[in-house]
Amino acid sequence: MTPRARNPNHAIALAVALAAGAAFAGTFAFDPVPPGLPGLGAVEFPRLVCLVLIGLAALLALKQADPIGEEQAPRIERRAWAIFGLCALFLPAMALLGMLGAAAVFLVLAGRLWGEARWPPLLASAAGVTAALWLVFVQVFRLKLPMGLLGG
Amino acid sequence: MDAFLGGMAILVDPYVMLMVLLGTALGIFVGALPGISGSTTIALLLPMTLTMGPVPAICFLGAIYCAANFGGSITAILVNAPGDPSASATALEGYKMAERGEAGLALGMSAIASAIGGIVSVVVLIFAAPMLARAAYAFGPPEYFALAVFGLSMCAAVGGDSPVKNLIAAAFGVLLATVGMDLTTGVERFAFGIPELSDGIGFVPVLIGLFAVGELLDQATRRLEKPKIIAMDAARVPGLAEFRKCNRSIWIGSGIGTFIGALPALGATTAALIGYNETRRWSRHRHEFGHGSIEGVAGPEAANNAAVGGSMVPTLALGIPGSATTAIILAGLIVQGVRPGPHLFTEQPTLLYAVFASMLAANILYLVMGLSMARLFARISLIPPAFLWPAVFVLSVVGAYGPNQSMGDVLVMLAAGVVGLLFRRTGFSPAPLIMGLVLGGMLEETLKQSLIIFGDDLGALLGRPIAMGLLGVTALGLLWPVLARIIRLSGRSRGRPA
Repeated sequence: MTPRARNPNHAIALAVALAAGAAFAGTFAFDPVPPGLPGLGAVEFPRLVCLVLIGLAALLALKQADPIGEEQAPRIERRAWAIFGLCALFLPAMALLGMLGAAAVFLVLAGRLWGEARWPPLLASAAGVTAALWLVFVQVFRLKLPMGLLGG
Repeated sequence: MDAFLGGMAILVDPYVMLMVLLGTALGIFVGALPGISGSTTIALLLPMTLTMGPVPAICFLGAIYCAANFGGSITAILVNAPGDPSASATALEGYKMAERGEAGLALGMSAIASAIGGIVSVVVLIFAAPMLARAAYAFGPPEYFALAVFGLSMCAAVGGDSPVKNLIAAAFGVLLATVGMDLTTGVERFAFGIPELSDGIGFVPVLIGLFAVGELLDQATRRLEKPKIIAMDAARVPGLAEFRKCNRSIWIGSGIGTFIGALPALGATTAALIGYNETRRWSRHRHEFGHGSIEGVAGPEAANNAAVGGSMVPTLALGIPGSATTAIILAGLIVQGVRPGPHLFTEQPTLLYAVFASMLAANILYLVMGLSMARLFARISLIPPAFLWPAVFVLSVVGAYGPNQSMGDVLVMLAAGVVGLLFRRTGFSPAPLIMGLVLGGMLEETLKQSLIIFGDDLGALLGRPIAMGLLGVTALGLLWPVLARIIRLSGRSRGRPA
């Protein structure tokens, strides 16, 4: 006898129900509504949505797994994790190098992780994209981008 | 008529025309990038519109929306990787034509059919949207509440294949819309003392995170999948014989696309697939389908572009998005201080007709660009992902930071990106979440107003026929799968011999 395949909907439904339950519990921390206001208060509507979410999660748990979805998603290999990490490091890099500096470094490193081995096109593309961002956002749209610690 | 002429006259303004031209070129350019859909394109470029006035911004977004659909067909035909999901039906026959050495003909027919479909639907939009808006004048808060419930229920059909997952995503969107200060009571909700959250979660960072960053993170896990690229061929104008052959397909596609686009939540992808099926059904050359039929390119292309104008009908007339992309455009309008709905037709008619005019202009412009520069646009599909996706991330960060110059918005965008990745890996679609986020505010506000009108007695809704009709249709739509199964089972048991 073959073992029954795990239904990924159960885990997803549990996560949805937990998130909705946490949000429902969070409504108890809201400040009280000033007395005398007519109609619905501040907590009823979010609570109603949370209950709907819990109901939908229960429905999902009862459903058979879809043929597509989690099974078809490719395994996240090491380089993909490294790209995620690089995205997360963008903010600290921005605090140090400024937005444009962090962008240039990110473009080179992420391109390399994505599989581009040649340095000259990586550097040229990083310089081109950074220059385009400066031109469009700083010069045309007059945005003030963060300069970072090194940029003063 | 004055408003119509005023709207058309806006196109004489060089700045507005430049925005339409830029929107069309950017729409084709980004639409042709495999993996970047029209909705991602608009989400990514939305921050650029914030420094423009409402008219050029809306013309810019409208032009991108029209052109991105056509751009998607370029890579569908040449690379067999639809730049936009709505071009997936085009890839079925277009790529076969390209393999046969007829890529130019397929691209040419795609441009012409797209433009005809797009123009037909904008003409329908010009007449249908004001009629719908006039009908909506009778609406009060209870009717709008019912309409928002109906719009949210239609989320079941948007994006992913699982209606339950789509509804969960939409409900999460509604919950996200409650973050920040409650305007009727002044109570802060889910803000956790973070000042950036007091004003609620911004549309722009969530849109960019869910669509652009989520897609980028997902693409990072698929780095090793490479599409097959075949020889390119410049577009050429189809001859009279080819045009005659496709005439019927183009009109079938245009009609189907406009109708399906106008139904809330059914967008260009559904229109293109139905357009393809109906084109095949009514074709005199059915045997050519599956082997590179030019009618199989014309029908779905006309349908998916006709859906653009169709989906703008409920978006502008009722404030209910007709598709995921129009949900983003709706967010863009709200950010610009424009609240779509029937009052827009009396308060800002010139703005509305400017949208119609810009969409007409965009359809003509991408026809010209598509025929003259298809080879150039096709080269876009050759940009290596190692350069493309890191640039998308950097543009996303700048786009999320730009509008409010807030690092909080960048953090929200990154969090939304992670949610977008989780959604994609677990079979959820981000589109219903956006619709929930856009409609959530309207849902709560109209519910509260209705309760005040009814003196806290929701039973009084029974006396509002339009609201009850909409809620009835909603209930029927949601329960239909269960009802259909019961009908099927009872039919089967009746047919069984005793």
